[in-house]
Amino acid sequence: MMRARQQIIPYLFLLPALLLLVVFNLMPTIATLFESMFVISLRSGERVFAGFANYNRIFNDPIFWKSFQVTVVFSLLVNPIQIALALGLAVLINQRVRGIGLFRSIYLLPIAVSLNVTAIVWGLMLDQNSGMVNGILWQLGIARQPFLHSVDQALWSIILIASWIGVPLWSLFILAGLQNIPPPVLEAAKIDGANAWQSFTKITLPLLRRVLAFVLVADTVANFLMFAPILLLTSGGPRLSTNLIMYETYRRGFLYGDLGASAAMLSVMLLIVFIIVGIELYALRGSD
Amino acid sequence: MSNRAMPTASPARKPWRSQAQPIVVYALLILGVVFVIVPLMWAAAASFTPNHKVFEYAYPFSWRALFPVDFTLEAYDNLFERGFGRAVGNTFFLAIATVIIGGGVNALAGFAFGRFEFRGKNALFLAIVMLTFMVPVDLTAIPRYILVNSFDWINTWQGLLIPGLANSLVIFLFRQFFAEIPQELIDAARVDGATWLRVLVSIILPISKPVLVAAALLMFISQWNAFFWPLLVAPTKEMRVVQVEISLAIGQYGTIWNELLAGSMIAAIVPILLVIPFQRYYVQAITGTGLE
Amino acid sequence: MLGRKIMFLTTLLGIFVILLAPASAQDDPTTITWLTLGWPADYIIEEFEARNPDINVEAEQVGFNDLFAQIQVRLGAGSEVPDVISVDVPLVSGYALRNWLLPLDPVFTGDEVEDWLPAAVNAGSYEGTLYAAPVSTSTQLLFYNKGCFDRAGLMPPGADDRLTWEEIAEIAPQLTFDDDSDGTPDVWGFIWEQMVRIYQLQALPESLGGSAIGEDGLTVDGVINSPEWIEAYTYYFNMFNVWNAAPQGEEFWPADIFETGNICMFVGGPWNIGRFANNADLDIDWGVSRHPYFADGVPATPTGSWHIGVNANTENVDAATRFVHFISTGEGAELWWRRPGGGDFPAQQSVLAMFATEEEFDELPMSYMRTAADEATVNPRPRAVTVGFLEYEQILQNTFQDIRNGADVEESLNLAVQRIESEMAKYR
Repeated sequence: MMRARQQIIPYLFLLPALLLLVVFNLMPTIATLFESMFVISLRSGERVFAGFANYNRIFNDPIFWKSFQVTVVFSLLVNPIQIALALGLAVLINQRVRGIGLFRSIYLLPIAVSLNVTAIVWGLMLDQNSGMVNGILWQLGIARQPFLHSVDQALWSIILIASWIGVPLWSLFILAGLQNIPPPVLEAAKIDGANAWQSFTKITLPLLRRVLAFVLVADTVANFLMFAPILLLTSGGPRLSTNLIMYETYRRGFLYGDLGASAAMLSVMLLIVFIIVGIELYALRGSD
Repeated sequence: MSNRAMPTASPARKPWRSQAQPIVVYALLILGVVFVIVPLMWAAAASFTPNHKVFEYAYPFSWRALFPVDFTLEAYDNLFERGFGRAVGNTFFLAIATVIIGGGVNALAGFAFGRFEFRGKNALFLAIVMLTFMVPVDLTAIPRYILVNSFDWINTWQGLLIPGLANSLVIFLFRQFFAEIPQELIDAARVDGATWLRVLVSIILPISKPVLVAAALLMFISQWNAFFWPLLVAPTKEMRVVQVEISLAIGQYGTIWNELLAGSMIAAIVPILLVIPFQRYYVQAITGTGLE
Repeated sequence: MLGRKIMFLTTLLGIFVILLAPASAQDDPTTITWLTLGWPADYIIEEFEARNPDINVEAEQVGFNDLFAQIQVRLGAGSEVPDVISVDVPLVSGYALRNWLLPLDPVFTGDEVEDWLPAAVNAGSYEGTLYAAPVSTSTQLLFYNKGCFDRAGLMPPGADDRLTWEEIAEIAPQLTFDDDSDGTPDVWGFIWEQMVRIYQLQALPESLGGSAIGEDGLTVDGVINSPEWIEAYTYYFNMFNVWNAAPQGEEFWPADIFETGNICMFVGGPWNIGRFANNADLDIDWGVSRHPYFADGVPATPTGSWHIGVNANTENVDAATRFVHFISTGEGAELWWRRPGGGDFPAQQSVLAMFATEEEFDELPMSYMRTAADEATVNPRPRAVTVGFLEYEQILQNTFQDIRNGADVEESLNLAVQRIESEMAKYR
């Protein structure tokens, strides 16, 4: 009797949350992915099973491949940059100097600001004609830069905007890891004659492996899924140079009503995310 | 590692004493602060500036761009006249309701995943919690809208609230934190005849303040900053949320910049006021999840 | 033990049940929802409700950029709300094709249909059936700052003059001034108000005899990369990149910097007339003239604006059509046109005629509205009629933004052809 009830308790505890997740997240996800196998007649609204026709269509679409390329380049740039800067920031705000609490509080501010608001404010800051960044460059005697309107600078501008929130956010996780390293470990290294850089690379980094693995995975997922700044600022331009797949997915599905192609792109994208996250987890797997 | 001290009980560990020169540390700290604070200061100053002067001191840059030298409350007056106060109230109510109800729902699930062994545990965790974590909610909005519409929940509070109650990240956070709590504490209570629910409420939650605060902030911020779903499911004036109200400043024939920025400032200040006093719990909560 | 657990779960369930209870339980009046933009809508709703006490209208207002995804998701999902939808007129075909809009022919009398501008009725119809009733229309004029012309020693045009694009090309660089000598002008000569939108830019190739879309309403190859388009957008490219008379970069609203004296001429809508006339702080002597055209071509002036339609799945056909009827005809149309903070141009000839009779328009600068009212009827060129208008418009918007910022004209138009053809494939 007792045992039977014991068995049922965890399921009871799980029930509300899992029910909600299944109904409002999992089912819509499956329904969306399922849509990639169908073609809807626009006129009659009739849904016809189409097998892999939508996949065929996007794989033969040069715009999809261009977006794919942009997404790969973006990911290869944004993730290492954000993680390196977050690590640096975490080390910095872990220093015991006077007033560090105030600095930590300031560095937390971007986390509270929504991505939409961040994109709008940075979009205005980077404005070619009247933006403050160009205003500062002008004071320094540097020529006006087009930022979001140049094929060479637009993706970098998006990286900057994403990092304004991303770097503080992930540095918080790394800071937690740093604070958990027992001081004696580092004292010992110091006594052994290791300099600051050696003790950082030989002792601190290996001890941060688990938190860095988490940050890498979570950051990769977050950056793959991000499209709000593109939607608000560049619409994928100039010349498709910021046309991330997630944005193309949004545009096809939510603006042009091409649900089949949109769902096919989302499926491909999720598959890529799973594979990359799997590789990251495998590469960073612990020996413990 | 059950021999580890509990997060709340642990005295602040003495961090590694810096070997870097304080001057270098300060220089780097200030450089970073400039990057973080300048956009916020400009946006705040511009929100207190007449609309036609919003860009006045940005190009060419002058320090005046960071302070409201032509101070006016015009943007804020207009916003509140249009009903921004109502949107703030709505969003606050929704965010608090999400924290209370969602907090309970997610904590129960986190407790089950963190402290029980049962059939299908890993499968449920991976297939439901992790999978839903990796899928962007906005891009699966169409079937969710059809579902919510079939419940007749369009333009209702439940349509705004219920789909966002369960939160995979928060469940994950609770699971990790609860899993680290020493077994002896639970055993002692169980021997005394406490139910599992009592164990959770009377033993576990009181020592889990950091993760409760972190989870509450996460849920609050995600509901506070929600835009796409509220816009779809409840766009009437009575139910508008903050981010939707802000987006109305972008019109067909022009954008009212100072109102857009004033709305953004109000949208940002509420979570900021909540995040700063609780920042140490954030770090503790992450420490307690065993991620490090 | 078990009792407490059940109590807890019951409480939880109770919270859900309370939340699930209908927010409002009144049976009458009938409530309809109207999905529209963030303009002052309360005024017209109050007027309508005063005349129709059995109907309650709730406005669902969204930002301009969000409206299209709203319609796509909600109507695409077969939702019965919103009941009434504001429709940007070139999107009517696409919505009608998808059966999202209720045919409106039975709602209006012959006289009411006659009263609308014929171009507006056409644009609101698909395959001969009216799906979206005209509320507003639009036209474009050249706005200029007389001070700039004085400074350059040039004569500004009169209200009834129609400059050629060639003349604009000659004047605009002379009205561009780099006062701080930083290499970037502080006062610009010229810009289009909606600088990257086909709404306004289609008039360029059309003046040269180009078309907006192929005969079948889907083909763009050979149309938007035709010699006329290349010539027209080379002109556009030159304005930004060669003559350096117009600013590159972000999209912005020229009226904002026209008011500060930083732009000397722009082609824009008549809503600016009221804006400038009512701006007590405005320190600029301004005027308007007719929409420009190419010397070798014909005058072509953009037109089209907001129409209003009924969701085909609405459960309140009667209430919804009564509201649509009210706002698009007679007294309601007049009230909508007169609403505080308005500035739309009416699509009803009876309301348009009021520009000629109302005293408000006797004197400058409001008398420019009479010029606009005439321009709206002489050379109106509606946007392309295609079921894939949104795709067409948005891709061209990217294209124009690229050309404005220095991309090769022919290459950009060819890329647009490739992208639009790929999107149109689903309609074939």
